[in-house]
Amino acid sequence: MPAFLDLTNAPDADVVTLAQQGREDAFRELVRRYERPVFTLIFRMVRDTATAEDLSQDAFIKVLNNIDKYRPEFKFSSWLFKIANNIAIDFLRRRQLNTISIDGSPHAATAAEAEASAFDIDAGGENALDAMAAKELGSAIERAIGALRPEYRACIMLRHVEGRSYEEIAATLDLPLGTVKTYIHRARSQLREALEHLRE
Amino acid sequence: MQHRHLLPDEIDQLLDGESGVDVAPLLAHLEACPDCAQKLADARLVCESIEQLQHFAPSPRFTASVMAQVQVVEPWHVALTNTAHRLVPASRRVRAVMFASGSLLAIGLSAGVVWLLTRPDMALYAAGLAAGRARRVLLDATGTVITDAFGQPALDALRSGSVSRVALGGALVLTAVGLATVSLRAAATSARRARE
Repeated sequence: MPAFLDLTNAPDADVVTLAQQGREDAFRELVRRYERPVFTLIFRMVRDTATAEDLSQDAFIKVLNNIDKYRPEFKFSSWLFKIANNIAIDFLRRRQLNTISIDGSPHAATAAEAEASAFDIDAGGENALDAMAAKELGSAIERAIGALRPEYRACIMLRHVEGRSYEEIAATLDLPLGTVKTYIHRARSQLREALEHLRE
Repeated sequence: MQHRHLLPDEIDQLLDGESGVDVAPLLAHLEACPDCAQKLADARLVCESIEQLQHFAPSPRFTASVMAQVQVVEPWHVALTNTAHRLVPASRRVRAVMFASGSLLAIGLSAGVVWLLTRPDMALYAAGLAAGRARRVLLDATGTVITDAFGQPALDALRSGSVSRVALGGALVLTAVGLATVSLRAAATSARRARE
């Protein structure tokens, strides 16, 4: 592996090899390449900027501190997304935020409870990122995605935002191929139903 | 052409851009069925809406925060190779001089070894002489430590013992130190994993 390799244009496998050899610039390059996709995936799962940033950091730290255990037969990005998704799912389970619909918890017994558990997407918009996020989250499609089960959401994001194949998603999420197809099919159906009113 | 409406799975097949003989009748049905064509169009719209969702960026300090908690470790073999690369002179002339000097040294050493092999009595005598001197130097240097650790009788035994016994004793001590190091390392590793 030449020491003068242009990291920006190098394939992931080469950058990972350099990182395994203790090249700090290779670590930075991996973060630069994947900070947005990983942050976006986690943000759409947990729907909170600060939490998404913390969890994204955890994902990168876990991956980069174990870079020597990376197996080249697996795509680096799949490995990274797998850990990011697991961290987000663990967080949601821990905090029982499987009810992260921005319209409020479906377990709420009264309208007041639902309102209390709803995400106030306009609150706390201190910077441009929050403002942009709030605007995005306000769109119908974001609302519909937010109402999906986290497993469906992860599948549909990897399929349509990251452009992954069904096989890659199955490997990334440790799910059988048939389950991935089912999840994506159900997610699409739920999204179609949720957006139906826009066409009327 | 099939005479029933498309099933949800079949709409998914078309959405995923699958091709082949299975898909041809589905496409033929679409041309004749406005309902199914509309369903597919609606599904495509949803997928396109998702695909157009933008990526969000973390804060500008994200990379620095991550790197502050990442341990960048250079493996020993890479460090060794890099050190060797650094030791090789950049100038071609200096490299040639170094190569010539190394070759001469290697030829001289080889000649010495061959001479010793042709004179085994001389080789044994020289080896015994060198071993005896090395033992004296070693015991003079480490006498205090050996006395403190194992007592005066141990030092006397080393002084009077044969070279093979001294070598055996040294090997035992080194083995004990090695085992202790490995055990401590294993304990530290398991403690770190437990913390993680």
